[in-house]
Amino acid sequence: MLNNKEYLNKIFQSNKPLIIYKTIGGFDVYTDFNERIVLNSKNFKSFLNIKCNKLNSKIKELNCYVGFFGYKLLCKNIDIKLPKQQTSNFYPGLVYKPQTLIKIRKNITIKSLLKNFRKKIPPQKKDYHFHEKKFNLNLNESQYSNLFEYFSKKIKLGETYQIKICQTYSNKSHIDAVNFFWKLMSINESPESFLMRDKDYSIISCSPETLITKKKNTIITKPIAGTLNRTKKMTTKYAMSYFKKNEKESKEHNMIVDMERNDLSRICKSGSVKISKLKSVEKYRDLYHYVTEIKGTLKEKTSNHDIISAMMPAGSVIGCPKINTLKLLNSRERLNRNIYTGSFGYINANGDMRFNIIIRALLNFKKRTEISAASGVVIDSKAKKEYKENYIKAKSLLDLFKI
Amino acid sequence: MIYVIDHEDSFTYNLVHLLDNFAPTYVSNYFNIDKKKLDTCKIIVFSPGPGDPSNYPETQKIYHQYKGLKKIVGICLGFQQILYGEKGQIIPQKKIYHGYQSRIKVLNGSSLFKPNKILLGGRYHSLKLKEPFSHQNLKITMRCVETNVAMAIEDTINNVYGFQFHPDSFLTVDGKFLIQKILQSK
Repeated sequence: MLNNKEYLNKIFQSNKPLIIYKTIGGFDVYTDFNERIVLNSKNFKSFLNIKCNKLNSKIKELNCYVGFFGYKLLCKNIDIKLPKQQTSNFYPGLVYKPQTLIKIRKNITIKSLLKNFRKKIPPQKKDYHFHEKKFNLNLNESQYSNLFEYFSKKIKLGETYQIKICQTYSNKSHIDAVNFFWKLMSINESPESFLMRDKDYSIISCSPETLITKKKNTIITKPIAGTLNRTKKMTTKYAMSYFKKNEKESKEHNMIVDMERNDLSRICKSGSVKISKLKSVEKYRDLYHYVTEIKGTLKEKTSNHDIISAMMPAGSVIGCPKINTLKLLNSRERLNRNIYTGSFGYINANGDMRFNIIIRALLNFKKRTEISAASGVVIDSKAKKEYKENYIKAKSLLDLFKI
Repeated sequence: MIYVIDHEDSFTYNLVHLLDNFAPTYVSNYFNIDKKKLDTCKIIVFSPGPGDPSNYPETQKIYHQYKGLKKIVGICLGFQQILYGEKGQIIPQKKIYHGYQSRIKVLNGSSLFKPNKILLGGRYHSLKLKEPFSHQNLKITMRCVETNVAMAIEDTINNVYGFQFHPDSFLTVDGKFLIQKILQSK
C-alpha cells in the first residue's frame, strides 16, 4: 500500500482533477470530486444560497464547494452588461465538491469520505506537454497609451477616480500544471496561491490578495494597492518609507481603503466596519505591496449571494467607483478577461468562506496559455510607468516559460 | 428617517453607516426612488457619485421639489448637485483631489462650526464650484486652505447643507461630529 507521500506523488503525476490551495503553514489538496458544477448567471444565486447550504458531508473540511467565479459572471451578477468580446469560451465559473483532502504541512495527512481512496488513481498520464518561450501581448505600448489617455480624460471629468487597464499575454502551450505550480511556489509562494486542474484546462496562480475571509459572522478583506519593483538590495523598511512618501501611491491606496470599507458596509452591521491594520508592507519575490486589513460584523440574515454581490468583482483590481468604472472598462476592453479579476476560493456549508482575487494567474486552455495583468490609472499616473508595472506583475509567471 | 439617494458610488455606504448613528437610514438608487418613503422621511441626503450634476436630472427634480420642505444634505457630487440647482456652475479643477487629505478652514459665515477652525478632510473630486458665486441664502462656509476651493455650504433658511469633501472617509478626522452638527441643526 502506498504511504501518504507516495500516494500524493502518484496523484500529481496522474490526470486526476485536483485543486491545491495555499494555507497557513502549507497547502491543501482537494480531489476525488463527486460533483462539478458549471456556473452561469442563471444558476449562480441558487448555487450560493441553496446548494451551498444543503451540503452534508461527515467531515467538516470536506463540507464545501471549491472553485472559481470568472469576471464576466461576476459582472453579470451585479447587472453590469458586457459587450461582445473576443473569447476562448472558457467556463464562466466552475465549482467542485471534494471527497478527499490532503493536507501538506510538516507531515502529510489525509481525510477522505472514501474508504478506498488510495486505489482511485488513474494510470500515468500520456499527455504531450510543450510550451513556447515567447508571448504575444494584446495591447502594445502605443495602444496602451491611447487607452490610458482616454481614461485619463474620464478621470478629469470625474466619471472615474481610478481605473485598471488590463493587458493579456498569450502563447501556444500545453503545460504540466502541477510541475509549473511547484516551480512557481519555489520562487513566489504567495498567501493566496492556488492550482486547479481538470481534463480540459489548468489554472495556476500566485495571487497575493485575499478578498474575503469569513468565519461565523466576522468578515475580513485585505486590499492591496501600491506596488514597488523590488531589487536585491531593497529592504522592507525602505519600501515602507517609499510608499509613505509617495503621494500617488498613498492616494491610490486611500481610495481603495474607502471603497472596501464601503463594500463591507453594504453587508455589515452599522458601525462595525473597522480598519484593523492600516498600510502595511508585504514582500514578494519581484515586488513589494502596500496592504490594509478591514474587518466587519455581518448583518443577520446576510446570504452568501449578498456577500458575493457586495464584494465581487473586487474593487481594488477594477477601480473606483466600481459600477461606473466597470462600465467604462467594459466599453473599451476587446478581450474577455476570463478568470482574471474573478475570484477563487471555497464556501463551507456552515457559511464560512475564503476567496481571493484571481491575479498573477495563468489559464491553460485549448493549447493556449494566457496571463493578464493590470495597473491603476489615477490622475498622476504615467502611461509608460503603468505599462511597465503590468510587465513586472506578470514577470514571475512569464519566467516559468523561459526554461 | 433619513433617505439617501445613491448615485452608484463606492463610498455611499460609508456615509450610510455614519448617518445610521443618528436616525434609521434608507438607501435607494437615484433611478429607483421609493416615493412614499421619500415623502415621509425627515432628511434627504444626496450621495457622492461619478460624473457631474447635469448627469442626474432625477435628483435635480427632487431637490427643487423638496427644498424648503425637508432638510437636504449633499456630499461631494451631492454638494455640487445643490449648487447646480442654485444656478452655480460646476467645472473641472486644475489639480484633482482623489484620496487626498486636505486642510479645510471654517469661514466666518458658518452657523454650525467654529469660525477659523481647521479640519482635516478626505477628498474625492475632479470638479469644483466656479466662482465668484453669490446667492441670497446659500453661503460658502468652508474652504480648502491650499486652493481656496469651496468645501461646505449652508442655507439656514431652507435647511440645505453640503460638504465637497467626504465626512465618511477614513481620511476625515471626526466626520461623525460634522454629520451630527448638520443633522441636529434646526
